[in-house]
Amino acid sequence: MASNTSSMKKIVCKDLHSYLRTLPPTVLDRLYCHPATCLAVFRDIPELSRHYVMRILYVEQAVAQAVVQHSNNKYFREQFEAAAALVELRVWYEQPLPGGMPGWLLNHVFRTNLVTALLGGGTSWIGSKDLTPDKYAKDILFLDKYALERWECVLHFMVGSNEGTDGVNKDITDVLLHSGLMRVDDGEPSITAEGFQFLLMDTSSQVWFFLLQYLDTVQSRGMDLVECLAFLFQLSFSTLGKDYCTQGMSENQLRFLQHLREFGLVYQRKRKSHRYYPTRLAVNIVSGLSKSNIDTHRPGFIVVETNYRVYAYTDSPLQVALLALFCEMLYRFPNMVAANLSRSSVREALARGITADQILHFLQSHAHPEMLKKSPVVPPTIRDQVKLWELERDRFKFNDGVMYNQFLSQADFELLRNYAKDIGVLVWEMPEKRVLIVTKSGHDDVKKFWKRQKSSSS
Amino acid sequence: MGDEDDKGYRWETEYEKTWEELHEDESGSLQASVDDILHRAKRRLLQDRVTNVRLGMMRHLFIVIDASSAMSDQDLKPTRLIATLKLLEFFVEEYFDQNPISQLGLLISRNKRAEKITELGGNPRRHIKALETLSTQACQGEFSLQNSLELALSTLKHMPSHASRELLVIMGSLTTCDPGDIKEHIKVLFTQDCANIRCSVIGLSAEVRICKTLCQRTGGTYNVILDESHFKDLLSQHVTPPPATCDRKVIINFYLLLGFPHHTLGGDKDTGEKPSMCMCHLDSKTSQGFSTTGYFCPQCKSKYCELPIECKACSLTLVSAPHLARSYHHLFPPEPYKEFLTSDIVTDGQVCCYACQIEILDPHVYVCGKCEKYFCLDCDLFAHETLHSCPGCASSRNLQTIQATSIS
Amino acid sequence: MEDKQNNSLLIIILDTNPVWWGRKQLANDQLTLSHCVDCVTVLADSHLMLTHKNKLAVIAAHTDHSVFLYPRPQSEKSMAVKLPDDGQYEVFSQVEGQLRSQIQRLIAADKVKIDDMYEVAEQPSDSLVAGAISMALCYTHRLEKECPIGETLSTRILIIKGSNDCPSQYMNFMNAVFTAQKLNIVIDACVLDSDSGLLQQACDITNGIYLKIPQPLGLLQYLTWVFLPDPNTRSKMALPPRAQVDYRAACFCHRHLIDIGYVCSVCLSIYCTFSPICSTCQTTFKIVGPQKLMKKKKKL
Repeated sequence: MASNTSSMKKIVCKDLHSYLRTLPPTVLDRLYCHPATCLAVFRDIPELSRHYVMRILYVEQAVAQAVVQHSNNKYFREQFEAAAALVELRVWYEQPLPGGMPGWLLNHVFRTNLVTALLGGGTSWIGSKDLTPDKYAKDILFLDKYALERWECVLHFMVGSNEGTDGVNKDITDVLLHSGLMRVDDGEPSITAEGFQFLLMDTSSQVWFFLLQYLDTVQSRGMDLVECLAFLFQLSFSTLGKDYCTQGMSENQLRFLQHLREFGLVYQRKRKSHRYYPTRLAVNIVSGLSKSNIDTHRPGFIVVETNYRVYAYTDSPLQVALLALFCEMLYRFPNMVAANLSRSSVREALARGITADQILHFLQSHAHPEMLKKSPVVPPTIRDQVKLWELERDRFKFNDGVMYNQFLSQADFELLRNYAKDIGVLVWEMPEKRVLIVTKSGHDDVKKFWKRQKSSSS
Repeated sequence: MGDEDDKGYRWETEYEKTWEELHEDESGSLQASVDDILHRAKRRLLQDRVTNVRLGMMRHLFIVIDASSAMSDQDLKPTRLIATLKLLEFFVEEYFDQNPISQLGLLISRNKRAEKITELGGNPRRHIKALETLSTQACQGEFSLQNSLELALSTLKHMPSHASRELLVIMGSLTTCDPGDIKEHIKVLFTQDCANIRCSVIGLSAEVRICKTLCQRTGGTYNVILDESHFKDLLSQHVTPPPATCDRKVIINFYLLLGFPHHTLGGDKDTGEKPSMCMCHLDSKTSQGFSTTGYFCPQCKSKYCELPIECKACSLTLVSAPHLARSYHHLFPPEPYKEFLTSDIVTDGQVCCYACQIEILDPHVYVCGKCEKYFCLDCDLFAHETLHSCPGCASSRNLQTIQATSIS
Repeated sequence: MEDKQNNSLLIIILDTNPVWWGRKQLANDQLTLSHCVDCVTVLADSHLMLTHKNKLAVIAAHTDHSVFLYPRPQSEKSMAVKLPDDGQYEVFSQVEGQLRSQIQRLIAADKVKIDDMYEVAEQPSDSLVAGAISMALCYTHRLEKECPIGETLSTRILIIKGSNDCPSQYMNFMNAVFTAQKLNIVIDACVLDSDSGLLQQACDITNGIYLKIPQPLGLLQYLTWVFLPDPNTRSKMALPPRAQVDYRAACFCHRHLIDIGYVCSVCLSIYCTFSPICSTCQTTFKIVGPQKLMKKKKKL
């Protein structure tokens, strides 16, 4: 890779599966004590694994492996991966049957709680006590507006504009700094290359990434990770537009709720209010991760044409600033912005660490509904050209090496060259000028060999 | 275009002032006008369907494709011939879908001669494969209408007259080069053997008088295409069976003897099934068709791979019951629904469509005359065009026995 | 990169014929209607549990009408939804509640009708499954239109039937099955009592699974193992083999299965013996001697 991009890394947003694998087993076992977690984990495992779990859900003993899985050679790999995924998450274990055949046994806690979620029984979920009808009832439109407004405050803060109405509090700043999206420069936080990449992701991925980073810092704040995660999963399964009660939540969970209110995931009329409304950002947060190519939170507004013109039907300064990251702005109208996708503007973005895939993903996830009717959404010429511009920066490959020259005779040169070739450290040679380059790591061996030669011949 | 003789040619009629169709409402929006036009177009689709005619169900259709040099013209992309062949592939699929026990044959005409590409048969795969090979062949020479007619008639005249016999010519050239007087030849069509053969022509360039006479005399349709989508529409009109003409001489109705073979899955060692060679692939060099599964003719027990087919040994036509059932909907179509204003319906609460449970917000609601349930416009179209039965009538007990035994 | 989101819709058609279920109850069979409804509820909840994009509809095919049990039309949803007071996920408890209340309503309506009648007429012992399938197809057609851009909808229909086939429904049934085949909708059948030739044909034509349950008590197990996976996943799992379908036609006069039959060329009705007048379309036929073989086509 070119050396100037080696310092910038691409941010990787872990999905639920990968995140849970990083948790220690004790935490995972405690997490499975609640039906919502089991349901969330169930929805995240590969499809074939889900069917396996459904098949043995009601059986308390181990079931033979051959019965659960059908040994079909064509799909063997997929079946193997499905089984392995379940083992990693500690959902099931291998257990030999009394007859000696290998069998699978579902994790008892996971099993009982998943059955509870499906059929009933057990304790009720948080927030499900009945409430009297709210005289300040809010509808879905209001919740959407509120959520986006709060979330955009965070984004505005990252970009450095002062458009966000209230600015953000210390908790959020801490998380941003911890995750590497911003860094402190002269006492003022400023955005990093990873931050730019974060800005170009679609809203659900952004929220999920942010939450994961937040959960990493939870221990240091003195909150219990398991309780917070349990509440988060339950929140993810709530219905949009309905209000829930805060009765029965522990201290930690109430603090977590307040933080979520800051990010815009829930709405509460007052801090001490007993009811809260989950917003669209929170519902299905766990399952809606980057699997769709469309940003469901904002209506699409970008039109990309094959003459490299980009038209964005928006007046939000944040969106315009994001577009300006990789496009050349041409005109601004009250409801629209016209920009040009040129080689220089894309190269600037690439220099900042943004990849071509992220640019294309941004264009696609915010595509105007008219564009979505075409397939592919982004015209192939544009897609290929942006990727070509990215590849242009990839023309040189740098290898460190040591040069040998000024050989006294051709025979010496050839002797050394053959030796270097034999041990496989030769990088380049030019017999006419008698110049030889070996890798840095091979340099020591070649030097020792040469010294031996010289001392034996002279 | 060809069947309204009194209207004359197109340039002789008055201009249609299409811009007067659209009206703006107070805010300058055309939306209401557009909705109205769409709505009327949808209703017209349903009403244009001609009901209450006897349909001739077994059809023998020959398609004559012009392969003369006029077909290498590029006004249809990529060339006329390739565009035609592509559309014909769709046509063949649809044709066998709608007329399962009918037969189709392909002829082409070039170099002043006519050649038979496929024999009359009921297997769509064979025809589609032939169409695919045709696309690589060159278009040369001249089109000959008389030779094509003769070739088609030589086979069609042996077909029993209870089946409908048809000919569809796709003609791209404006001339025909014939060995004799074509007008004399057309008179032959009215002799005993060739009675009731209906010829239709689809022209690709312009209207030609001889084609117009041919079609008019035999009761077929003559159309000239405007563009590719019009071509597709015209072809789709030939998919549905034409109404059987009653003004001809009395049609003698025959019974058809059909066989319904048993499908054996084989593969079971206990039944002692032995693999055998099927009759349809007897001439092929590969071992395709040698297996235990297949359909056995009830009369002579020869094996075939797929249906419908005519048994080579005992010439019994073999079909499966669902094949016949596919055509029943032409004979018992559901009655069209009556249109009412939603405001006239008196209910407590919203009016919901019986079939899809959607709340009807349109000003119009559609009611079935027999079961008196309400439907929305989309379900109306779906029930009449795709489903061919009314969901309300199918769910009412007292309407069941009536349907099975009556014909509308 | 461009693959669209796939929503999967499962429509369950439940045969609620009171005569058949009543007989089961009287015979003290352990498979009662409430057990069956429980199994169907669990299957429905399992389907919804697989992913949040899955959709569901349940239709009851009764003796003289078909009705949607779930989802109910918008106007009825105005009543506030009660949250469950145990550990069940709220969507599942809502589905369960609706199914239960609608079935109760259905049966109560029947009871009122019988109480009102002066003399108890004989109730038919078959259900109008074809009507229910037609309604399911219209519902699918509507949902496909409502699907947002960028997503596709794939549907399958599961029919759970105990009562016998209704022969007068043949036409409507076949129309519905051919429409399903055209729209790529898979029809599966789970038969509780006697084999049904119509359903076998339907499953064969649409590439679905036909299963006659050997042990009625294990209904839930069969439903979960065989009918829960959607068509794409089915090839990766072990499933019962295809049944041999009898495609022979039944003659219109006696309803016997025949190998060779006389078919009227006008209306295509099938008869086992020759008669001069076709009983469906009343056309007269020329009396034909031994069957004339078709003349061999003359080769040019």
